[in-house]
Amino acid sequence: MVKHKLFVVDIKKEEAWINQYVKLGYRLVKVKTMTGYYQFEQDTLKCKSHKVKIDFRTFRKIEDFNDYIAMFEDSGWKHIAGTKSNGIQYFERTDNNISEDIFSDEASKAELYKRIANMWFGLFVAYIPILVAFGMTGTLKIYNLFHLKELYYTPGLWDRTGIDFWKAFWFETPFALGRGFFGLLFFIIVLSYAYCALKALFWYYKEKQVQFP
Amino acid sequence: MNLSKYLPLTETTYYILVALLEQGHGYYIMQKVEELSSGKVRIAAGTMYGAIENLLKQKLIQSVSGEDKRRKLYVITDLGKEVLHGEAERLRYLIEIADSKGL
Repeated sequence: MVKHKLFVVDIKKEEAWINQYVKLGYRLVKVKTMTGYYQFEQDTLKCKSHKVKIDFRTFRKIEDFNDYIAMFEDSGWKHIAGTKSNGIQYFERTDNNISEDIFSDEASKAELYKRIANMWFGLFVAYIPILVAFGMTGTLKIYNLFHLKELYYTPGLWDRTGIDFWKAFWFETPFALGRGFFGLLFFIIVLSYAYCALKALFWYYKEKQVQFP
Repeated sequence: MNLSKYLPLTETTYYILVALLEQGHGYYIMQKVEELSSGKVRIAAGTMYGAIENLLKQKLIQSVSGEDKRRKLYVITDLGKEVLHGEAERLRYLIEIADSKGL
């Protein structure tokens, strides 16, 4: 069974979404994070201990990654998906005698979101020089947002009426959007990284407060 | 040496440092801590890895080369031992106070 869904930052929601299928008797066997691809298989063992938990970590060295995976597997958490550098690590609980979670205190539960925030924030910061350069060379064309009519080059377009107008209008619209919003789209994508970082930071503080009620 | 920036240790950190008086890999530490605390402190894998990372950064523990290619071996550093001493002293003093007040 293959399911598609995209999750960004919302680790808890993603875990809950995966585990609803686990409860129905499936096991998560493969994940492609970028495309939101989740492959499940019928759980032939009908093992009650199965449960998926997610961690977020990237590693510089392969030895660190191996050591990390080994520690989880030694303690009963099978690594399902996640690579050295893509960050999201999926683990399946394989032993009934171990704890239900991969974190045993509130602080480390919260730290997970801090690592996610750092990743998105780093991505955002990396794009700032490019954004500034685009802004200075006028590539972003923020101006166009408020002067949409100027994006249409057809002479006398706005004087036409009826079907004549609409035909010409819709014909040129894809070109106009391309002309005006390529830079803007870039800007929005980079801003969304900052949004993800802030969202993760929000979760971090929310989780942290559990510690000090 | 001024150890005040390391102290007090959290219960988890204290147990991990005590466990690493003898070298061992991540899962060894988890088991050792459980044993030392008579089953009271069970550190889960994700929390354990974060703790190891922090202690490495603070140079209270270090990784040493071993035979196992997949698992890293960790051991307490001299600084780590000093901190552990400092913490034990602090705890002993607290106990003294408790005793003197008949608690």
